[in-house]
Amino acid sequence: MDDSEVHDGNRTDMALISARGLGKHVEGPAGRLDILDDVSLEVNAGETIAITGASGSGKTTLLGLLAGLDLPSDGSVRLDGHALEAMDEEARARLRLTLVGFVFQSFHLLPALTAEENVLLPLELDGTPDAPARARDALASVGLRERGAHYPYQLSGGEQQRVAIARAFVHGPRILFADEPTGNLDHASRDAIADLLFALNREHHTTLVVVTHDPAMAARCAQVYDLVDGRLRAHAA
Amino acid sequence: MIGPRHALRTLRREWRLPELRTLIAALLLSVTALGAVGTLATRVQRAVVMSAAELIGGDLGIDAASPLPAVFVHHAQALGLRTSTLADFPSVAFAGERSQLLSVTAGDGAWPLRGKLTVVGRDGQSKVAHAPPAGSIYLDHRALVSLQLKIGDRLQVGGMDLAVAGQIDQQPGGGDLIALAPRAVMALADAKSAGLLGTGSRARHRLLVAGSVAGADAYRAWTKAHLPANARMVTPEEVQQRLAVAFDRAGSFLRLAALLAALLAGIAVALSAQRYARRKTDEIALLRALGASSRFAFGSLAWTLALPAVLAALIGAGVALGLASAAFAYAHDLLPASAQRAPLPFGPAFAAAGIGLAVLAGFALPPLARLKSIPPVAVFRRNVKLARRRFDLLYAVPVLVALGLIALETGSWKIAGVLAACLAGAALFTALLTFAILWLIRRYAVRLNPALRLGVSALTRRRGLSLLQSCAISLGLTALLLLAVVAPALLDNWRRELPRDTPNWFVVNLQDAQRAGVRDALEKFGATRFNDMPVAVGKLVSINGVDVESAPFRGRDVSQEASQQVRLSWSRALPPANRVIAGQWFAPDAHGAQVSLDVAWVRRFDLKLGDRLAFLVGNQRIDARLTSIREVDWSRFNVNFFVMLDPAHGETLPHTWIASFYLAPGHAGALAAFSRDNPSLSLIDVDELLNRARQIVGQVTAAARWVLAFSLLAGALVLAAALTMSAAERRHEAALLRTLGARRDQLRMAALCEFGLLGAISGVTALLASAIGGAWMAHAVFRIHAFAPPWMPLIVAALIAAAVVAALGLAGTRKVLRTSPLLLLRR
Repeated sequence: MDDSEVHDGNRTDMALISARGLGKHVEGPAGRLDILDDVSLEVNAGETIAITGASGSGKTTLLGLLAGLDLPSDGSVRLDGHALEAMDEEARARLRLTLVGFVFQSFHLLPALTAEENVLLPLELDGTPDAPARARDALASVGLRERGAHYPYQLSGGEQQRVAIARAFVHGPRILFADEPTGNLDHASRDAIADLLFALNREHHTTLVVVTHDPAMAARCAQVYDLVDGRLRAHAA
Repeated sequence: MIGPRHALRTLRREWRLPELRTLIAALLLSVTALGAVGTLATRVQRAVVMSAAELIGGDLGIDAASPLPAVFVHHAQALGLRTSTLADFPSVAFAGERSQLLSVTAGDGAWPLRGKLTVVGRDGQSKVAHAPPAGSIYLDHRALVSLQLKIGDRLQVGGMDLAVAGQIDQQPGGGDLIALAPRAVMALADAKSAGLLGTGSRARHRLLVAGSVAGADAYRAWTKAHLPANARMVTPEEVQQRLAVAFDRAGSFLRLAALLAALLAGIAVALSAQRYARRKTDEIALLRALGASSRFAFGSLAWTLALPAVLAALIGAGVALGLASAAFAYAHDLLPASAQRAPLPFGPAFAAAGIGLAVLAGFALPPLARLKSIPPVAVFRRNVKLARRRFDLLYAVPVLVALGLIALETGSWKIAGVLAACLAGAALFTALLTFAILWLIRRYAVRLNPALRLGVSALTRRRGLSLLQSCAISLGLTALLLLAVVAPALLDNWRRELPRDTPNWFVVNLQDAQRAGVRDALEKFGATRFNDMPVAVGKLVSINGVDVESAPFRGRDVSQEASQQVRLSWSRALPPANRVIAGQWFAPDAHGAQVSLDVAWVRRFDLKLGDRLAFLVGNQRIDARLTSIREVDWSRFNVNFFVMLDPAHGETLPHTWIASFYLAPGHAGALAAFSRDNPSLSLIDVDELLNRARQIVGQVTAAARWVLAFSLLAGALVLAAALTMSAAERRHEAALLRTLGARRDQLRMAALCEFGLLGAISGVTALLASAIGGAWMAHAVFRIHAFAPPWMPLIVAALIAAAVVAALGLAGTRKVLRTSPLLLLRR
């Protein structure tokens, strides 16, 4: 496969995530800085992909564009057929609520809420009935049923990330975006978290997009892409 | 509703956050200050206004300088109205060696027609009464204490020997809001017999009527058509209006003091909100990333603040009501009896709660509103946060809220603008002073010891915050120092500047034939500086041919001023303490009557040289041309007059004499004898008047000091908010210093130096601002030639400020100083 060709026209109509000609540039003190250049990508439902690259290569920027958290300077992104550039921020937020889950490198749990309440958040935002029970089940699925009443400061890094994973899956998203999910963890926790992430991904049949510079984690994904100088190349299998 | 639910969950932990606590404390402070003052002012004003009819003692009154013709009584009775005659006048009472100026009401047996006179008798029971029988007098508590009398004792008033028949418990007022002199009630017949109501006396005669509404209305209409030139009608509506205006002015002073506290509290709110917004940035970005609408994200933030804010506002309203009740009890004897029974109004306290919430919303809005523009991508990148916008219109909101608050309290946008400019000027002055001191210290800091250097560098590193803290503390301290230290020093200085033998007694109602004899008698027991001048009592009837009571003059309605009695005098030479500032003093050979006016009169009626004024004195009309304008130094206590005629025309008018003299203390017995020998004369003790005025001013300024204490508390809150804002930075600094080897006591010393310096700078700034303010007032208002600011008390206050700020700062950074160096590694 030509490493600049990352989508097949025949598969386009089945793609859950579709990015065409994405570019992102910013104005810096020395002039225009191109972070991404002509990035195209298609991810089908249920696939797992990893985006790797050196620090500062634009991986997180690409993730932000794919998730609808930011808008590209060029190109377009479609999530489940919805063109993101045609939507305002409120509409993108609604789409994220129903379609997307996130796991962050810094966990991003709300310090004022307990573990259970952090997991509850997406369900409450969506007005899901029986949200507390579902939240408790989600915590149980990550092995933290007994820690539901604890605040983030009372949990270790690994435990906090497990709560974040429970929150990411609790509302049954079709797509999970993970930004360096093991980046802030020790070696032992890293493996456990990676195992948990992929296990739940299989269980929930989500499409997983992982940004990582951990080769072990990247190897667990069906498809790996390298981001080099702002351009995306499929990694040789 | 998930929004409030999320807010409650968040509050469960966040109520402990220092910035939230400071924000709520600032709200509580402003509500309490505004509410307490508003409640007190409203209670007093409403009570006095509501009892206007009671205050005048009837449905309608006619006030005159001399007794009214009998036809006024007959006509009232013909209309089925009850009538009562009384007179109000000042007179000195003597009891043995003691004397006391009294405000005397002499009434007939029917007085009062409305309202109540209640008197406590020898049995200790309070009973409703009318004017006492002949030969007796009722005194109020102050008079009894001052003269050391009890019920049944005797005293002399106007040379007449009277028995104290009771203590006045409650009395319809004569329109005196603040009783300068203690009150007495005696029989009208006794006052007449004693000659206290003769021509030229200071007595005001009043005829009161009461009865049916129709009868009173008919009498009012008839009186309007027949009112003598030297008389005026007194109605409950007019008294209400006068009282409302008077209390409004007093209340405004206290409201402005509370306003300063509210504005400083607003600054504390703004700083705390900024810190809170920074803390909430990650959360808002996350919620948006998870799919929350901006309405939810911002709405739950609003709920998180609104819930504790509303609770704090209600608590503040409650505390305000309590404080107002306590203050009302403290001011008990300043107020008329009717005001003392007034119920507690709840409106102002809850209005203050609303205002406090508006201040919170206004000052917190700019930093919190910017959270709305947090992009969800900020969950990935911390540097994609609140984009700096230099000229954000949102920052106009707190300025508008502050202006609106000032306009609300002052009742005028114009005054609000002027006041805002003054406050801004004062803030700028303190900021410049602080900046200059900081610059000087920084310049020479290298020579300081390490701890002091660390402290100084902390102040200059956070220059903006340091300036803000110093300004806030200085403003509050300056206001307090001006009132508590400088103002009393001004008053003392003013009194000291008066020559030792400045006249301290006045005697009125002196007749031509009595002048020489009275002078001799007074000088015999040591009176000096005797100075007398003629006085004729009249009324201004027209200016340049315009009847000023019924028509405007130069576009202004001057009827109220024109309806007042005028006391005219004359003199060949320019009297002492007078200076001609325009025109020329009376030329002996001039044709026609001439008048010379004090500049205050000229301004009051918008006059200029050459205007013709017509006066009616008794039945005599005199038309005079304005030939000179004078500036009178009223503070010298010589006999002086606003209106002076040329002697040739003045001498033709019916008149008496008024004299002033100085008498050293300890001559009360001699004065008592003098008064007995001259029953037609009224003696006025100026020292007693000044002491009473000073006592009242002292009570009012004590109340104002309490209110200004709120400003100091607000300054302390600004300090707390600034500490919170810089907490993360301080922790990092402390961790770094500890990593590099600094000991904890060294860090403590540095903090002590930093906050001690801040307090000292604030204190010095306040000291200088108060001294300059005092010097300006001495020159411009009091005309004191050699005023030295009270440096020692000001320096002590500055030192105390330094100590308090140092202590608060140390307490606020206690936890920070214990930061472990491990913090650096964990970051």
